[in-house]
Amino acid sequence: MAITRRTFLKRAALSGVTAAVVLSGTEKAAAQMSPHQEYATIIDLTKCDGCSHLDTPACVSACRSKNQPRFPQPEKPIGDYWPQPFHEDWSDKQQIIDRLTPYNWTYVQHLEVEHQGRKVRVHIPRRCMHCDNPPCSGLCPFGVIDNTPEGAVVIDTDMCFGGAKCRDVCPWGIPQRQAGVGLYKKVAPKFAGGGVMYKCDMCIDLIQEGKEPACVAACPNQAITLGTKEEMRAYAHRWADENQGHIYGDLENGGTATFYLSQIPFENIDQAIKEQENDGKPGRPSMEVGINNPLDEPGNMAKAFAIAPVAGVLAAGLSVYKIMQGEEQHEDSEA
Amino acid sequence: MKIVRHNLAIRFVHWVTALSIFVLIFTGFGQMPMYKRYNVDQIPGLGWSSDFMVTLNIHYVAAAILIFISLYYITYLIGTRRWDILPRRGDIKESIQIFASMVGLAEEPKNRKYLAEQRVAFLITAVSVAMLIVTGLIKVYKNLPGVDVSASLVFWIAQIHNLFTVILLLSIIVHLLAFLIKDNRPLVSSMFTGQIDRAYVERRHELWLAELAGPAIATEEKALIVEETEILEKVENKEESATGESNETIGDCEAIEENKVIERNEITADLNTV
Ligand code: HEM
Ligand code: HEM
Ligand code: SF4
Ligand code: SF4
Repeated sequence: MAITRRTFLKRAALSGVTAAVVLSGTEKAAAQMSPHQEYATIIDLTKCDGCSHLDTPACVSACRSKNQPRFPQPEKPIGDYWPQPFHEDWSDKQQIIDRLTPYNWTYVQHLEVEHQGRKVRVHIPRRCMHCDNPPCSGLCPFGVIDNTPEGAVVIDTDMCFGGAKCRDVCPWGIPQRQAGVGLYKKVAPKFAGGGVMYKCDMCIDLIQEGKEPACVAACPNQAITLGTKEEMRAYAHRWADENQGHIYGDLENGGTATFYLSQIPFENIDQAIKEQENDGKPGRPSMEVGINNPLDEPGNMAKAFAIAPVAGVLAAGLSVYKIMQGEEQHEDSEA
Repeated sequence: MKIVRHNLAIRFVHWVTALSIFVLIFTGFGQMPMYKRYNVDQIPGLGWSSDFMVTLNIHYVAAAILIFISLYYITYLIGTRRWDILPRRGDIKESIQIFASMVGLAEEPKNRKYLAEQRVAFLITAVSVAMLIVTGLIKVYKNLPGVDVSASLVFWIAQIHNLFTVILLLSIIVHLLAFLIKDNRPLVSSMFTGQIDRAYVERRHELWLAELAGPAIATEEKALIVEETEILEKVENKEESATGESNETIGDCEAIEENKVIERNEITADLNTV
């Protein structure tokens, strides 16, 4: 992978090189090139048939072959996450396609969902939602998950330390970890870090070239479409109004760049996922309706930061007044 | 005799700062995925420590308290004009002398309220806290819904926040290690009660004592108020107990008083030349 200026900057930071050295013109050029347009996808569950005729759904194959060159190649043997007696290694299970793994960034949930007294088959391509206010990015201790102007949320795999915090704070537990690769190997592999986190990046490279993401292009049923965020949102709402349908991803986690359309309420779908998919391990996301953004609560608290300094000055003003008065009285009584 | 070293406002600032910073450090480290890995959340009562959202919320609360108390302190300093803790010219050199004196290579310089080394340490601590607040506020801002901040800013802010966390942590460790030195021990109780033995101040903070007397040095009376009351007390006691020696004692006291005045004038002269 080519070193972008950003990764270069980050590397420079870690290697102690000062910023002054890297103030070249390259970024300006890069900034001008990127179309500062926000994108989103629609995933129309009424069109997705799960590619039942194929061993591997077309979107999943397309995603895998496009991203193959970027899949992790861990050095073995891989050490445990001391003092824990385990590490996350998917390198021998690269063929798995029934969940998200570091080698499988999108997968299709095949469900039987209760709807109007009938059991209906539903197929749901799942991957990163590319949230508007992504907690994975906001809370990364190293600040290496980029919420791009295009709306794609992208992990810098060169700088990721593999603590898996992004997976813990993502409402859907999307990013998946591979041990034995990445920056942590160069620092203190036994004690800190755990590999690199991988997930869908919305094919940001293709989007920047003006092309469609691999899964969008591959789908024989046009179940996944890419467009500008506003177009996609407007379409989703129009569709939902006309069809008495439901949208998932517009409000969830404070808004995302993925709009699922369904005739069946997502409450029922979520129920089915929890019963049929969930195995208690990461990589099989639920579809909880209206799920909150974990950053909301601290966000509400942010008001306190406006009040705190004012309160501090006022309280101190009072103390100072008392102290100075006390001093005067003291002097008076002494004189 | 006791002298007020830390008034109520300063003790309030000190302990609120210390508490909020300890909480910030604990919850700050909790922002990195380590309490689960290192089984900290297995310790009874600390089960919450591996929940990022819990520790983040506590981090926010403690941060607001730290900002409150920092502004309180700045206002206090400006309002009372008590600059004793701020570094002065020559403090670095004097700090070296202090460290040399600890291993017996030099004599401890005459000190004001704070040792030169304390004033330098204060600057480091204050700058770290200020940087943590500034970078922390930017972090809070970028976490607000609808706010988009460039990835490189986020990255650099995180690095600076982390860097000053380490610097602050080191400065606090040094601060605490200082109280392993026996000679500094009386300061600890002063941080609780506010008061310190006069004898201690006489021995270690001669220049401060002079400053306490303040402009009174010029009039020579106020400078000795404390000593006078002491001497008078002594005299009264002696007068009460032993009548025969009283004249002698008073003579002694007068001599002491005169000496003190000379000493004080010397100190003032010293101060003026600094
Ligand atoms: C003594 C003061 C402080 C210490 C020792 C401290 C320490 C830390 C540490 C170690 C982290 C985790 C690493 C990282 O994300 O960079 C962190 C995260 C954070 N700190 Fe602080 N901090 C302090 C003060 C503050 C203040 C005053 C604020 C806000 C005004 C603040 C806001 C944050 C936020 C929002 C995070 C969450 C992670 C993120 O959003 O990137 N901190 N802090
Ligand atoms: C987060 C931790 C702490 C910070 C940032 C801090 C900071 C400071 C500062 C700035 C001062 C000078 C205050 C003034 O008089 O204006 C001071 C004094 C002092 N601190 Fe702390 N402190 C911390 C924790 C502690 C703890 C845990 C102890 C307990 C032993 C302690 C004991 C003292 C004492 C005894 C003094 C008085 C020193 C003197 O009068 O020369 N501090 N501290
Ligand atoms: S779905 Fe999860 S991983 Fe994707 S952007 Fe949102 S929080 Fe991040
Ligand atoms: S989205 Fe398209 S390619 Fe993917 S499983 Fe459904 S029908 Fe197949």
